[in-house]
Amino acid sequence: MPIEEVESITSIRKRFVTPGMSPGALSPEAHMTLNIAMNRIGAKSDSGEGGEDPAHSHPLPNGDNPCAKIKQVASGRFGVTAEYLNACEELEIKVAQGAKPGEGGQLPGMKVTDLIARLRHSTKGVTLISPPPHHDIYSIEDLAQLIYDLKQINPRAKITVKLVASSGVGTIAAGVAKAKADIILVSGHNGGTGASPATSIKFAGLPWEMGLTEAHQVLAMNKLRERVTLRTDGGLRTGRDIVMAAMMGAEEYGIGTAALIAMGCIMVRQCQSNTCPVGVCTQDEKLRAMFTGSADKVVNLITFYATEVREVLASIGARSLDEVIGRADLLTQVSRGDKSLDDLDLNPLLITVDGADKIVYDRSKPRNAVMDTLDAEIIRDAERFFSDGEKMQLSYAVRNTLRTVGTRTSSMIVSTFGMRNKLQPDHLTVRLTGSAGQSLGAFAAPGLKIEVSGDANDYVGKGLSGGTITVRPPMDSPLVAADNTIIGNTVLYGATDGYLFAAGRAGERFAVRNSGAKVVIEGCGTNGCEYMTGGVAVILGRIGANFGAGMTGGMAYLYDPDGIAPDYINPETLVTCPIGHAHWEAQLKELIETHVKETGSLKGAEILNHWETEKANFLQICPTEMLAHLKYPLADVAENDAIPAE
Amino acid sequence: MATQKMLKFVTIGREMPEKRDAADRSHDFHEIYREFAEAKATEQASRCSQCGVPYCQSHCPLHNNIPDWLHLTAEGRTEEAYLRSQETNTFPEICGRICPQDRLCEGNCVIEQSGHGTVTIGAIEKYITDTAWEQGWVRAIAPSVERAESIGIIGAGPGGLAAADRLRRMGFQVTVYDRHDRAGGLLIYGIPGFKLEKDVVERRNAHLAQGGVEFVLNQNVGEDISFDAIRGRHDAVLIATGVYKTRDLDIDNADARGVVRALDYLTASNKVDLGDEVPDFEDGELNAQGKNVVVIGGGDTAMDCVRTAIRQGATSVKCLYRRDRANMPGSQREVQNAEEEGVEFVWLSAPGAFAGHVTGEAATAQEIDVDGDPRVGDPRVGSVRVHKMRLGAPDVSGRRSPELIEGADYDEPADLVIKALGFEPEEIPRLWGVDGLEVTRWGTIKADFQTHATSLPGVYAVGDIVRGASLVVWAIRDGREAADSIAEYLTNASRIAAE
Repeated sequence: MPIEEVESITSIRKRFVTPGMSPGALSPEAHMTLNIAMNRIGAKSDSGEGGEDPAHSHPLPNGDNPCAKIKQVASGRFGVTAEYLNACEELEIKVAQGAKPGEGGQLPGMKVTDLIARLRHSTKGVTLISPPPHHDIYSIEDLAQLIYDLKQINPRAKITVKLVASSGVGTIAAGVAKAKADIILVSGHNGGTGASPATSIKFAGLPWEMGLTEAHQVLAMNKLRERVTLRTDGGLRTGRDIVMAAMMGAEEYGIGTAALIAMGCIMVRQCQSNTCPVGVCTQDEKLRAMFTGSADKVVNLITFYATEVREVLASIGARSLDEVIGRADLLTQVSRGDKSLDDLDLNPLLITVDGADKIVYDRSKPRNAVMDTLDAEIIRDAERFFSDGEKMQLSYAVRNTLRTVGTRTSSMIVSTFGMRNKLQPDHLTVRLTGSAGQSLGAFAAPGLKIEVSGDANDYVGKGLSGGTITVRPPMDSPLVAADNTIIGNTVLYGATDGYLFAAGRAGERFAVRNSGAKVVIEGCGTNGCEYMTGGVAVILGRIGANFGAGMTGGMAYLYDPDGIAPDYINPETLVTCPIGHAHWEAQLKELIETHVKETGSLKGAEILNHWETEKANFLQICPTEMLAHLKYPLADVAENDAIPAE
Repeated sequence: MATQKMLKFVTIGREMPEKRDAADRSHDFHEIYREFAEAKATEQASRCSQCGVPYCQSHCPLHNNIPDWLHLTAEGRTEEAYLRSQETNTFPEICGRICPQDRLCEGNCVIEQSGHGTVTIGAIEKYITDTAWEQGWVRAIAPSVERAESIGIIGAGPGGLAAADRLRRMGFQVTVYDRHDRAGGLLIYGIPGFKLEKDVVERRNAHLAQGGVEFVLNQNVGEDISFDAIRGRHDAVLIATGVYKTRDLDIDNADARGVVRALDYLTASNKVDLGDEVPDFEDGELNAQGKNVVVIGGGDTAMDCVRTAIRQGATSVKCLYRRDRANMPGSQREVQNAEEEGVEFVWLSAPGAFAGHVTGEAATAQEIDVDGDPRVGDPRVGSVRVHKMRLGAPDVSGRRSPELIEGADYDEPADLVIKALGFEPEEIPRLWGVDGLEVTRWGTIKADFQTHATSLPGVYAVGDIVRGASLVVWAIRDGREAADSIAEYLTNASRIAAE
């Protein structure tokens, strides 16, 4: 077929994606260059986990758009705010990554510059750990909940779930499709960062071919294939790879390593060391000056891929990539003439499912719709708040089937007023009576206050972005608030700002990866304050085991009259001491006062009544790594001169 | 992170061992770089970026595991560093001194490419191997089994010696024949002492001799001994003669006295340096002292000649090259050294309009005319007619070819003209009287790229005589590879014989 009859380069290029590489891993220049390049050709770049400079939302003077079209939501939830989630077309939940399945990332302290610390709501120079799992995903239902949350906070964005090639990925992909994801990304082992551990690079993961074909086949068998778009990455290097990936079922293609090389990466593979000699993945000013990449180079690379794809398509008589998607029957196993190579039977990869020829591949279909929640009503009722900025107060009864309340409203707040708005903390107050469903106030934005009289399920204040949430038992409840759990598991996971006051205990994994929210509760289960990097947690009751593991920032205060809390804390990474400085005492007291005012907490009131004696029962907890960065010493200098003041 | 010893290029700059200053070094034939102190070697090694894809290694003909032994050096594990380095290289201290690292490992070093200044790989290689010799870490050649098969190696240059070393370690009986009175080939007589101290080469020769390699010197094959005699004496033969025929000029007054060949000149100087008596040097024919010297050519041999002339006390030394600095074949580092020592480079100048041809394959090479001073009755050269050139478009090799600028000629006074125009293979089949030894159209011996086997069974060839004039490091690689394939050949042969 003459090459002129094949679909255009422009149309092919739109299928390309540069996979998630975070600012932090990449230098700001490299990150922005990728975004600009992909935007220029109507393709998509992925922000990676670690937030993105809000300044990227504005075009550059020359007209380039430096904003990533895909925003990643990974286990660390760094910089995942309501604003970030709204500045994109697509949200990607990174469940795992091909180069290091089952492992989280780590950003060494030396790579955490002022900018990175600001984007990630953390402290300059302090190591950041992405936990291996998402603390809010323990089952496919949990993933469905996160997808639901994200579809609420951004009512336009499609949701991608990034999986890795592994045996059984088909089953997972089917579950993900049923969970209403729009795009499934199958990541292979060949790609990946130079910062991955050598053991992972060499021994972990499977080729994308195996994962992709399994996902494609299982989805097709279960009539789910049309619901989702399939994407693959992890070692695509040539136009031929792209066409093969298409035949195995992929509609979109991730190009990571090659794009970096186009920008000047020379495969030194010391990405974790902050010494990238070409300024691609370093935060060192001097080395960043060596960066020679430009958007043009990346555009050229993708153009060459598209050109080669066209040539291959022309040579097999196909007019467009769509014609060969899922056509694994066009591939055959090559015999190498060596028994050690040819005893591998690749036919399972090349199976075509019955009826697969009827599948329509349409990348531009609308996203899979999800049910409305209470917010549909709230937004209608709050019309004057949104149109005129009037202060409003709304009141509803709530049931636990109403999930993710306040999130769609927050999305509206961010798009109407911005996230750094001038609204009062209670500008729009939503009073709820009853038992709130999961993800109450997820990503709640500044200006929104949610008051619950009753209780709330899991994920309260997930990704809290500046809003206020209060939860108190009903006035007529006979229960002793401080002894009963009032909010569920995984509260404030990935919160970046805002307040939560709950007159009662929280469940497990409380305030994991909190990086800015301030919270008062009356007790929590195991794994409280894990991986926390900012914010303040005041806990007026018993804690569970493994408190503060991996915590590298923020502050926690425990009310511990029996002196048993230290048993639950790892003293190697955390410092514990009595409240020893007026600044910290004032912070603690003020939070408890607000807590009492907001929730009518009896326990809080009791403590305040006897403050001078009770304050000795508090234990202040601070990560060792933070000591050098504190504005005020933990204790007055005379008492403990080992701790440096600023 | 605290234990990270490497990747220090961010904070530590590139440093070479101290170079003796030009005034001090230009009167003797000792090496111009001093040794790295241990601390310095450790520090410089720690600059290595430990690349996932080490271009230094892929651009080293021997594929030396450079990042590994830099790492070991940086950690102070010098003996292990030496062991790692000698696994792939028979003569690391020689490569460390004379390899054009700026074109090989160091030139492709990732941190050099990105503008941080290369890791000084050569200097560190030299440091660790010299330290190994001092500390006695260089182990004697002591094969665990002796094998009856014997191999004759013709030519005691780097290729022949590398093969000899490897074969002897496998237990074969090895005899090395050479036409000179010392082993080492160009290492001993070609390369001047200021680049490679002669005791370094003699130390290796002694090491081989003690290890049981037999040297038969002063034996010119085809004259003193026939090739067939050598073949008859050994189970396999390796030809490693190098290329010794000087490219020449067909020029007016070419036979004028005072026009000499580079190799004759360098050999004489090296022999004097080694304490030999050289009549041609004594009578001034090959001595630059007090003379205006003109060297023609822009390769590494020309660089050796100009710098030797400086050390012999020449009044002036000029190097004529018909392209410019950026387009010369020789190492830039050598040009810089020469300039520091007082050599004047006359770029874009070819000696004379030319009638005639340049011999051999040099059809694309210099077209040069040396116009001797036509004083009657005195055929001694007096001046060189210089034609000024300019550079045209790049040719197929990427170098820009020179074009003549009409009417810009001038005469350059000269008492000694040294021709350093490159080398070509001698006509081995004719000189040695061998039938069936195939050669290429350039006169080099045809040998398999992998096995180095020639058209004659059991006869192998390596180094310049196969490649044309090339680097020592390539000769070492060839020698090592040929040794392996000879061993395989002999092992198979004995197995067949046993059956």
